[in-house]
Amino acid sequence: MKKKIPLWLKIIIGMILGVVWGLIAVNIGFEKFTADWIKPWGTIFIKLLKLIAVPLIFISLVKGVTSITDISKLSRIGIKTISLYLASTVISIIIGLVLVNVLTPGATFPEQKRKEFQAQYEQTVKEKEIQAAEVKDRSPLYIIEEMVPDNIFLAMSDNTKMLQVIFFSILFAFSMILLESSKVLAVKNLFDSLNDIVLKIVDIIMKFAPIGVFALLASLVTDFSGDADLFLALGKYALLVCLGLVGLIVFLYPPFILLFTKIKLKTFFKALFPVQMVAFSTSSSAATLPVTLRQCTKELGVSEGVANFVLPVGVTINMNGTSFYQCISAIFIAQVFGLDLTLMQQLTIVLTATLASIGTPGVPGGGIIMMVIVLSASGIPAEGLALILGIDRPLDMIRTAVNVTGDAAVSAIVAHSENELDYSVQKNFSS
Amino acid sequence: MWKKLPIWGKIIIGMVLGLIWGLIATKIGGEKFTLDWIKPFGTIFLKLLKMIAVPLIFVSLVKGISSLTDMSKLSRIGMKTMIYYIVTTLIATSFGILVGHIAQPGNTFPPEKKAIYQQKWEKTLNDKQQLADESKSYPLSFVEDMVPDNFFLAASDNTKMLQIIFFAILFAVAMVMLGQKSVYVSDFIGSLNFIVLKIIDIIMKYAPIGVFALLAGVIVDFSGDADIFIALGRYFFTVVIGLLSIIFIFYSAYIKLFTRVKLKDFYKAMLPAQLVAFSTSSSAATLPVTMKQNVEELGASEKVSNFVLPVGVTINMDATAFYQAVAALFIAQVYGIELSIGQQIIIVLTATLSSIGTPAVPGGSIVMILIVMGSVGLPVEGIALVLGVDRPLDMLRTVINVTGDSTINLIISQSEGELNYPVDKTKISES
Repeated sequence: MKKKIPLWLKIIIGMILGVVWGLIAVNIGFEKFTADWIKPWGTIFIKLLKLIAVPLIFISLVKGVTSITDISKLSRIGIKTISLYLASTVISIIIGLVLVNVLTPGATFPEQKRKEFQAQYEQTVKEKEIQAAEVKDRSPLYIIEEMVPDNIFLAMSDNTKMLQVIFFSILFAFSMILLESSKVLAVKNLFDSLNDIVLKIVDIIMKFAPIGVFALLASLVTDFSGDADLFLALGKYALLVCLGLVGLIVFLYPPFILLFTKIKLKTFFKALFPVQMVAFSTSSSAATLPVTLRQCTKELGVSEGVANFVLPVGVTINMNGTSFYQCISAIFIAQVFGLDLTLMQQLTIVLTATLASIGTPGVPGGGIIMMVIVLSASGIPAEGLALILGIDRPLDMIRTAVNVTGDAAVSAIVAHSENELDYSVQKNFSS
Repeated sequence: MWKKLPIWGKIIIGMVLGLIWGLIATKIGGEKFTLDWIKPFGTIFLKLLKMIAVPLIFVSLVKGISSLTDMSKLSRIGMKTMIYYIVTTLIATSFGILVGHIAQPGNTFPPEKKAIYQQKWEKTLNDKQQLADESKSYPLSFVEDMVPDNFFLAASDNTKMLQIIFFAILFAVAMVMLGQKSVYVSDFIGSLNFIVLKIIDIIMKYAPIGVFALLAGVIVDFSGDADIFIALGRYFFTVVIGLLSIIFIFYSAYIKLFTRVKLKDFYKAMLPAQLVAFSTSSSAATLPVTMKQNVEELGASEKVSNFVLPVGVTINMDATAFYQAVAALFIAQVYGIELSIGQQIIIVLTATLSSIGTPAVPGGSIVMILIVMGSVGLPVEGIALVLGVDRPLDMLRTVINVTGDSTINLIISQSEGELNYPVDKTKISES
C-alpha cells in the first residue's frame, strides 16, 4: 500500500505531520524533545543531499558536456542558458521594484518598533557590515577571479565553492571533447558508470526524504514559535514578500513554459512539486540539486546533456527569488527610514542585486552579506537590516523554492529549443 | 598573422605590452585601474596553472614511472639507471641553489629600496617566516613532512607537493609490481594524462593575456622600477652560464671519471644531437639522433641504450631541475625573502622529484616552477618575470638534458661492460 503513494505525496504528508507535530510540541512544551530527537534527522537529510552535491555536479557536468560533442552547439546552449538566467533575474527584480513601490509596505511602519529592532540586532548587523566591507574592498573583477579554483581538491572539499567545481568540470569536459574519443575512453567509461552510481545514491536518499522533511518542519515550527509576533509586526512586508515569491512561481514561469515549450502546466508543476518541497524545507538550492536533476530528466524529459549542464550552473548563478527579495527588502528599509529613492538609486539596486545573485556563492555567509552590499551601494543605511533579519529564515525557504523552479524552467526552455526535450516521458507520467 | 605566431612569440608580445602598460600606468597614475581591472586576469592565469599542478604532477608521475614495466626484467640496469638519473639531477639542483646564492641575480635593489619592498610583502614574509620556524624543529622533520597522513588533505594544499609526489611514486611503484593486474587503472591514468595535457594546452592559449596582466601588475607593484630589468638580465645570464657549466664541468667530470671515452670524442659525437635539441627544444624529438650518436659514434651497446635513453627522455631533466632552483631563488631575492636551509632543501627535493614528471609540452615546465615555488610559499606573481625569458632558456635546457641522458648511458654501458669504444668506423660502414 505504502509503495503506491508517489514521492511528492509522501513528502507532503511528511511536511504536514511535521507542522502538526511542531504545533503540538510548542503547546505541550516538547521543544527540547523535538530539538534533541527529531531535528537531527532533518540535519542528516540535508547533510546527505550536500554530500552528494559535489560529486553530482562534477560527474553530471562532465557527462552532460561531453555528450554534446558539437562544440558550436555547446556554446549555443551556454549562451542561451546564461542569457535566460540573467533575463529572468532582471524581470523578477523589476517586478519586485514595481510591487514595493506601489504597495509601500514600509510607509506605515511604527517608529518605535524600528528602534526596538535596531537595538536587538545591532551586533549582527555590525558583523555583517564588516564582512561586507571586506568584500567591497576587492577588485570589481573579484567575482570572476573567485570562479577559478587554485586547487581543485580544496574547491571540492568546500561546499561554498560550487562555482569553482563547475568551472573545473566544464574545462575538464571541454578538453575531453577536443581529444580523440579513443584517448579518453577509459575516463569516459568511468564517468558513465559513476554517473549511474551517483544517481542511484540520490534515489536512496530520496527514500528518506519524507522523514527528513518531517523533521525539518517540526523543528522549524518549534524554533520559530517564539518569533511569530515578529512575523505579525512585519506583517505587510512579510506578506508582500511571500505573495510576491509565490506570484513569481505562478505568474512568471508559466507564460515562459507555455510560450517556449509544449509542456502542460499541470505536468510542469507536478514534476517540480517534490523539488520545491525539498528546496522549501532545506532552503539550499545546492542541496536540492540532486532532486531537481532527477525530476527534470525523469519527469519533464529534459535530456541529460542539457539538464546536467543547465541545472548545476543555475544553482550557483540563477537566483530569481533571492534577487527579488533583496530588491523588495532594500526599498522596504528605505521606506521605513523615510528615504525617497531616485531612479538612479533604484537602478543601482537592480544592477547590484543581479550581480550579487551571481556572486553569492563566492562569499561565505551568502545572502545577508550581499544584502548589505546592495544596501550600501544604493545609499540605504545598512542598520535597516535589523528590521528584516528576524524573519529571514522563513522567507529564505520560499526564496529557494523560487530559485529552483526558475532553474528547472530554464532547463526545459533550453532543452525544447535544442530539440532535447522528450515529451513521451511526460505522457507516461501524467497517465 | 596573430594565429600563425608560435605560442612563445605571443607570450613575449604579451610580456612587452604588459611592461609598457605598467610603465605608462605608473607615470600617469593608472595604478588603481591596473590593479582593479588588469591584474585579476593575471591572477586568473596563475590560479589556472596552480589548479592543474596537483593533477599534473600526480598523473604524469604515475604514468611516467608505471610505464617502466620492464623494470623488473631489467631489474639491475633499471635500478642503476634510476639511481644515476636521480643522483645527477640532485647534484644539478643543488648546484642551482649554489649558483643562485653566488650570482644573486635578483639582488639588484639598493638596500633602502629593498626595505620598502620588504615592508610591502611583509604579510607574505611573516607567513613564510612562521613556516620556516616550524620547519627547522629537528633535522629529520623534512623527511617526516614528505609523508602525508591524509592524501586528500595533501592534495588540497598546493604547498604539500612533496607529499603528493611521495604518494604518486608509492602508487606507481605498486602498479609496476602488480603488472597486468593494474591494467584498468593504468588505462585510466593514461586517459587522464591526455586530458590534463589538453587542459594545459587550453590554459596556455590564455597565457599571452595572463602574462600581459601579470607583468603590468608586477611593474605597478614595483612602481616602474628599472632595477627589475637589470635583475632579469642578470637572471638570464646566470642561468645560461650555469647550464653551460653543467655540461662542461659536471658532465665532463662524469665522463672522465667513470668512462674511458675521450672528452673530445664525446663532444664531437654529441654536437648533432645538441643542435637538434636546441632547435626543437624537445628531448623526445631528439631521441632518434641521440640514440644513433650514442651507438654508432661512441659505441654504447644497443641493449643498454634502448632502455636508458628513452627512460632518460621522460625522467632525467637535470637542466630543468637546475633551472627551477635558480628561478625560485631569483624570485625570492627579487621580493627580498630570505629562505631558510630547510626551505632550500625542500626546493632541491621538489625540483628534483618533480622533474621526473615534467611533461615535454610547452607550459609543463612553468607549472613545475609554480609547484616548486608553492612548496615554500614564494609569491607566485614573480613567475611573470621568469616567463618572458623561458623559451630561449628552454632551448638550452633541452641541450643539457639530452647530453645528460647520453652521459648516464655511457656510464652504464661501461659499468655493464657493454661499451664498445673506440668504435671501429670501418666495421660499421661495412656492415
